[in-house]
Amino acid sequence: MTPDMELALSARAENIAVVRYALGGLGEAFAVPEPKLSDIRLAVTEACANVVVHAYPDGHYGPMEVVASKDEEALTVLVRDWGRGIGPRPDSPGLGLGLSLIAALADSVQLGHDDIEHTEVRMTFLLGGSQTSTNTLPGTSTVPGTGALQSSGALQGTGSLPGPGGRLT
Amino acid sequence: MTTESLGHADPADQLQQEALAGPTVTDPDEREREGPAPAGNRARVRLLDGPLAAPVLGRVVSMMLARADWPLDRLDAAMLMCDALSAHAFAHAGGASVTFNIDAGEHEAELRVLGLTDNGANGLVKDAMLPVVGNVIERIAERVSVEPGMHGEGPELVLALRARY
Repeated sequence: MTPDMELALSARAENIAVVRYALGGLGEAFAVPEPKLSDIRLAVTEACANVVVHAYPDGHYGPMEVVASKDEEALTVLVRDWGRGIGPRPDSPGLGLGLSLIAALADSVQLGHDDIEHTEVRMTFLLGGSQTSTNTLPGTSTVPGTGALQSSGALQGTGSLPGPGGRLT
Repeated sequence: MTTESLGHADPADQLQQEALAGPTVTDPDEREREGPAPAGNRARVRLLDGPLAAPVLGRVVSMMLARADWPLDRLDAAMLMCDALSAHAFAHAGGASVTFNIDAGEHEAELRVLGLTDNGANGLVKDAMLPVVGNVIERIAERVSVEPGMHGEGPELVLALRARY
């Protein structure tokens, strides 16, 4: 399926603003309600900030891609990079809230990498109708409006990822 | 690499054209070395035919030019050109999507349109004709040219803009 939008930039802090602005255009075109669009912008901003801060060694600006696809029910936004992957980082310069925030804002989140080793954060946002979580894993408690944080196989065992209601499987 | 000129904004404005005749903003060989994503004040946007084209392309281009400190009148002109491109590009696309490469510098910017059919670049420029106003693309861009696409892809429409007249 061809995505509706692919935006490729270098992983620089200033480019996060470009992504946010482009998402505003996406929201306008798809008539996404403003509260939902704010959630989408914030979650994607966090994912992009993670790429800028963590994906590449200091002083290196590798690629960052934002891919958005919409179907009748949901908008899926994929943020990917060619960096060193997602893992524990004791010396992290941030507060460590990024993935938790993403999990709280998106209806589902998947972490992993694709066939050619891009690190990916895939966020799905339900549009219209029910805004409850798509988290249906057996034994998983569901918090309405709170996304499920999932990891693809490649990232299993890379460490715990905190999330208020989200979970790493 | 061969370049087919499609004209420029004002035939009398030879000085500006000559000023742009030096190294292009994006050297094709450099682009090849860069890998999958643009560096610096560059962006690549691939858009599916649909309602996204105008609002997203306009926003990305305006953001890149504003960051390069372009004056408001040229930003406005660039927006007009983006509207023309997004309105007509998909009628000349080789597939469902069209790619726009933006490279914005302080004085010059280059916008490349990729994913067009063999005659798509020429057709796209011709379609940007407005009554009274004339051809929007040719009036706004300092240089309009068609270059062969990389990796056997279709031709690229290359639009060079300047920050100041």
